[in-house]
Amino acid sequence: MSEIAQKVTNIIVDKLGVEESEVKPEASFTNDLGADSLDTVELIMEFEKEFDIQIPDDQAEQIATVGQAISYLEANAK
Amino acid sequence: MAKELLKGKKGIIFGALDENSIAWKTALQAHAEGAEIVLTNAPVALRMGKINELAEKIGAKVIPADATSNEDLEKLITESMEILGGKLDFILHSIGMSPNVRKGKDYGDLNHDWMHKTLDISAMSFHRLLQTAEKLDAMKEWGSILALSYIAAQRTFPDYSDMANAKALLESIARSYGYRFAKKSKVRVNTISQSPTMTTAGTGVTGFDVFFDYADKMSPLGNASGESCADYIIMMFSDYTRMVTMQNLMHDGGFSSSGITEEIVEELTKGK
Ligand SMILES: NC(=O)c1ccc[n+]([C@@H]2O[C@H](COP(=O)([O-])OP(=O)(O)OC[C@H]3O[C@@H](n4cnc5c(N)ncnc54)[C@H](O)[C@@H]3O)[C@@H](O)[C@H]2O)c1
Repeated sequence: MSEIAQKVTNIIVDKLGVEESEVKPEASFTNDLGADSLDTVELIMEFEKEFDIQIPDDQAEQIATVGQAISYLEANAK
Repeated sequence: MAKELLKGKKGIIFGALDENSIAWKTALQAHAEGAEIVLTNAPVALRMGKINELAEKIGAKVIPADATSNEDLEKLITESMEILGGKLDFILHSIGMSPNVRKGKDYGDLNHDWMHKTLDISAMSFHRLLQTAEKLDAMKEWGSILALSYIAAQRTFPDYSDMANAKALLESIARSYGYRFAKKSKVRVNTISQSPTMTTAGTGVTGFDVFFDYADKMSPLGNASGESCADYIIMMFSDYTRMVTMQNLMHDGGFSSSGITEEIVEELTKGK
């Protein structure tokens, strides 16, 4: 697992209170990991803080799974 | 109903997320009654919600503040006094959140880190706010500070989970700080215990619809709406309630004093 993937996983485990084993790339935040609408916004803001970037709302809306978050951050994180 | 009850009064309103929020309705009403307001909410709520719509409507500034951060609260109160040009007449704490409730955790299986969050966000934040306001000497004499509570503080509603504990603490803080603030600068501190209301926080509780209907049937006047709660808050911010402090005020259509009602009898007689 890349360093970014590990950080993303840690944030998700902490925020959503799920087991690390559930945080698979294909897992959807809302359908598989029990996130509600507030959680999804909080996750995006946690990613922004951790990786010191701004994720515009239209792009944030495209991030629905763990894998999508990791690839977005791998492409955009400084 | 605008009667300029709050003419010339200045204050801060926490917790307007969307147009269903009790805080949203209160802000509209307070503005109609002549008050000048600063709106605030958690950064995540600003990103999610529509608070800017409200701010435009009533010509208010919005200052983000996480109610669990002393630093944010200090900044909020200092900036609000600058914007409003002086000390404050009123503050509404309309904040509640429980990760355990949101995630449907059973009361016998709570995540205690989350329980800390529940208590911090929903109750201790009120103490932080009161303490910050006192330290910054932000309140005018006869000012009024209110928080919103629920009767689960006194009676058990199983699905209300750790929010019930948070509300009990919230009401207790209002009494303890109310004493202090009255002695210090004649500021009054109260909680309003409101009927179930269809808002984001309300409907997050499991089985909320049934809960809502039950309370409606158990209240001789029916459930108090968010709008009527706003009316009550305005009265509590006005000069007509100066001697009311350290109270938990029931705003529930009579629910808390009712043993049983005809509607409930009828419901339970069905099919017998
Ligand atoms: N809806 C009901 O049935 C009901 C009944 C009685 C009492 N209440 C109380 O009324 C108050 C307002 O809730 P509402 O029903 O209008 O729902 P709401 O969801 O519209 O408001 C709750 C607010 O709390 C804010 N908040 C959460 N965490 C925060 C934080 N860390 N810092 C600052 N703000 C934060 C949210 O952003 C939101 O604006 C709450 O205290 C709630 O418990 C609600």
